Order: sequence, then C-alpha cells, then structure tokens
Amino acid sequence: MNESNREPTLLAFDTSTGTLAVSLYRDGHVVDATQSFTERNHSVRIVPEIREMLRRNGTGKEEIDAIAVGRGPGSYTGVRIAVSAAKTLAWTWDKPLVGVSSLEALALGAWQRLRQEADPLGRPAWIVPIMDARRGQVYGARFRAVAAGAGDVLAAGAWARADEDGIRLIGEWSEVLSARAAEAGASLWFVGETTPFEAELAKLEHAKTVPFAMDGGAIGPLAADRLRRGMTDDVHAFAPNYTQQTEAEAKLQASEAERTR
Amino acid sequence: MTDKDYLMLAIETSCDETSVAIVRGGREVLANVVSSQIETHRRFGGVVPEIASRKHVESITLILEEAFAKAGVGRGDIDAVAVTQGPGLIGALLVGVVAAKTLAMALDVPLIGTHHIAGHIYANRLIGEIVYPALALVVSGGHTELVLLEREGVFRIVGRTRDDAVGEAYDKVARALSFPYPGGPYVDKLAQASEEEVELPRAWLEPDSYDFSFSGLKSAVLAEINRAKMKGEELAQGALAKGFQASVIDVVTTKAMRAAQAFGVRQMLLCGGVAANLGLRERLTALCADAGLPLLIPPPSLCSDNAAMIAAAADLKWRRRAFTPLDMVAWPQLSLEEWSVQD
Repeated sequence: MNESNREPTLLAFDTSTGTLAVSLYRDGHVVDATQSFTERNHSVRIVPEIREMLRRNGTGKEEIDAIAVGRGPGSYTGVRIAVSAAKTLAWTWDKPLVGVSSLEALALGAWQRLRQEADPLGRPAWIVPIMDARRGQVYGARFRAVAAGAGDVLAAGAWARADEDGIRLIGEWSEVLSARAAEAGASLWFVGETTPFEAELAKLEHAKTVPFAMDGGAIGPLAADRLRRGMTDDVHAFAPNYTQQTEAEAKLQASEAERTR
Repeated sequence: MTDKDYLMLAIETSCDETSVAIVRGGREVLANVVSSQIETHRRFGGVVPEIASRKHVESITLILEEAFAKAGVGRGDIDAVAVTQGPGLIGALLVGVVAAKTLAMALDVPLIGTHHIAGHIYANRLIGEIVYPALALVVSGGHTELVLLEREGVFRIVGRTRDDAVGEAYDKVARALSFPYPGGPYVDKLAQASEEEVELPRAWLEPDSYDFSFSGLKSAVLAEINRAKMKGEELAQGALAKGFQASVIDVVTTKAMRAAQAFGVRQMLLCGGVAANLGLRERLTALCADAGLPLLIPPPSLCSDNAAMIAAAADLKWRRRAFTPLDMVAWPQLSLEEWSVQD
C-alpha cells in the first residue's frame, strides 16, 4: 500500500467447497467476483479465472497489495488447489499472503445477505457455517453477529468468532447450539452446505437454515481486515487448515497408543 | 534467447519427491533441488498419498526459492515452465500442476505439461546424445516398460509389466525380509554380498512377448520365507535376495536385449529409480558391450524422480513450440504414446 489509509487491493480466491470463488477487492469493496460450480475441476479453471479477472479489470500485478486465500477447512484436495496457487503467486510476485478461514468467509458471505432479515431488536445472531465432511460430520464454526444498520459488517462489535473451525458430528452439535442459543436469546442460523442435513436441522426449534454457496465476496473484506492489522502469513510455512490428521496418521497413533498401554 | 540458452523451470510432484529444476537450453542443469519425503512415509511402510500431497503444499515455494538461489537466476529470467502432468498420484500431481500454471501466468511464459516417463527416458539427454532408433528400459517403483523411440520424441511401448512394477516387487520382498521402506537398495546390497543363491523361477511369458510379470516371483520369495519359518530353519536372507535379484535382472535384461535386436536399435537407455540398482547396471553394461550396443545410464541422482528430467523431456515440446493451455488437467493415466511429438 502506498498510503497508510488507502484500502488495499486484494486478489482473493477459495476452492474449499464445490464452488470456485475468485474476487477482486478494491477501494473498500468487492469490484468483481466470480462463482463457478466446477466440482473436481478447480485445478483446471482456477488459473484462467484469475488471469481473466485481472485482465477484465485492467489490474496489473503492481496494483495488487496482497494475495488472499481461503485456507480451509473443506475438501482436502480442493483446499490445496487454492493454497498452492496462492503461495506460488504470492512468492512469484513477492506479495504478502493473507489466509482466512473458509468457514468464516462462508459465514460472512451469508451474513452480508441475511442481515437485513435479522432481528430488528438488535439481538445477536449466531451464524454457524457448515460444510459436509461425510459420515454425519461437518466442518463448522460459530460467529456472533449484530446487525449494525447499514454500517461495516466487520465494524467493532458487529462480528466476532465464537467457536473455532473444527470437524463435528452435526446431530449432537446442532442440538447443543440450539439449546444454548435459546438460553442466550440469540437467533441461530445454519448457513452453507445445509442441504445434506435438512432433516436433522429441521428438528431444531430455534434455528433457521440457509443454503449458501461460497462466493468470493467475503474473503476480500476479511483479508483486508487482517492486512490492516498486520496479520500476514509466512508464504513458505503457510498450509491448509485441514482440522484433522490424515487417516493413516490417526491409525498409526492409535496402534502405537495400544502398544504402549 | 535461443533454443540453446532459454531457461526452463520444471516442477515434479508425481509421488513423494518435491522437486524443482532450472535448466538452460534443455540440457544444462543449473539447479535440481529434490526434497524427499521418504523419512515421513517410512513409518507407514510406503507412500501415503494424502500425506504426500500435504507435504508438497508445505514445501513447494521453499523448493522454488532454493532452486532459484542455486541457479543464480531471477524469476524474470525464466522462459517456460514445465511440470509433470502424469502419470502419478492425483493429489500429489495437482500441487505441482497448480503451482506451475500459477508461475506460467504470473511470469507470462508458456506452460508445458510433461509425461513423467518421458522425463525418466530423457534424463539420458542430460548426460549424452541419444541416437535413434533407441530402446529405453524403464524400471521404477511404479513402472516397468520397454519403450521404443524410432525417432526423437516419438514413444512406442513394446513391453510392460502385467502386474507389479520392478521397484514394487523389490519393496515387497524387502518388507518380507523386514527391511525398512524403501527396501530396494537393501536387497541389492544383500544380493551383491551373498555367495549363495536360492534358485527362483523366471517369468518369460509367451515366447514373443516383451511383457513382464513379477507377482509369481514375489510369491516364490514369500513361500520360501514361510517354508524356512515352518521348518524352524534360519532364513538364508542373502541367498534369497541374490536369487530374487538374479531372476529380475535375467528377465528384464534378456527381454531388453532381444527387443533391441528385433527392432534394430542403435542405442539402449536405462532409466527410472531402479536404474540405480548396481546389479542391473552391471549386467546391462556387460550385455550391451558384448552386443556392441551403446548404452546410456544416468547417474543415480537423475534416476530417481527429479525435475531436471522433466525439463529435459519438455525441451522436445519447447523446440516445437507445442505449449499447453492453462486449463490443463493433471492426469494420473496420461498416455506416453499420446504425449509423443506431433511432427
């Protein structure tokens, strides 16, 4: 950034879900965003999409202040595609790299659309982004949001993380959240890949379910916020957040624990 | 910049080595950095694909940086980017493929998707001149093939394994003999050191076939280990390793020499990770000398997976300006014959 107060220009992308999301963030807002449903094809489209976005907006590498990327969780292979591209691009162009949680991007993206419908009394909303992790599990997190009029969604006090990204059993977890939200007087919103869990979530009394596909729109603001606070990532050390070990490592650990018992 | 002094950056991540090379004019290796994951995979007794993919992402930019530092060139000096497109483990290939595409876009240079086996074969061009027609004996952990090159860049597979690859058979036998992964080099050493030899079968298949089969041999080794165990005898490890190695080498070299004669080739090329096997190198060298057939064998550092060999193969496409679009697909079953040059 040339001037300290200027909003940064960011190239942002995410491939943690079935959606390939690419966006350009400039002057405090998203100026271009594409969302393609290219399941299993992210590695084919990601680089051409990035190139087309830069060309379409007449943006050269010298104008880019940082590369922003969703670091997962999500599909292992999927997350690796965006992270490999982001690390390589940041290194090649010598730009700062800013990793954001793909779950937070999913949550914020949904909240940007939902907040008009939020409680007019200003009660907090619990935004719970989920992604299908198979076998009744989800990658999930929880954010506490307050609809502060038309102001910045990320303004102080308007958006805060409440639970870390992790892999959880949807049945158990959703019931606990539902009870706790009722107790806290908060509205509860499950957003993201909710469709596979519709039956499960419909049982909950105080929850709303909003299917929502990842869009590039939320990564830019989240990354700009981190960049402002100097929270850039080390390009070489940067890795996806898988939230769990590989099966092989888990099995080996279990069998070693068994042996030492 | 000419075909003699252009700079190619190459990336190889098809299995468990993360490698980046910078090669000038398709032949002069300025850097060939190989980061092996063997230590990581050893405790699992073999390569775990998901772990291999994770390691590639973790180290890719670091290896890029090392390669540039070693070559003493700048990012802007690169004229083309080559990458292993296949065959290999899909998750592992994807990391290299995405990194290569990103580099090609970021530096605004052409991309060249490259066949891994063409890389092994053309590793020989980094150490000498290839004379056509040539026959390549490709032996590695995942491949055992006889490839005929009637002319430059045109590949025809005349023989291949019907079951295990040579390197795979070595690793399985080594595991049965309780050697750590990868056990091929232990079996080679043991075989070299032993005077005794347990006679083991050779799978010649049909009289006119150049194909291979090693699963019967592997079973014979396992049966011998079991037999010794049942009878409470001490296992003659060295003699067994020697018998196994003798069978493998006898079959692959005999078939290679027979094919060389049948196709009238003017040169033999040995390549692939198992080309580092001393017994195999010695035998093929002797046979080719007897037949008056010139032989090329890369040094061990260019036999195992590395990116310099990918640059050497990609040079075939560079000189023909046969570039690959940025929407290239990483392809675990990529065909060598179809990858041949088109002129």
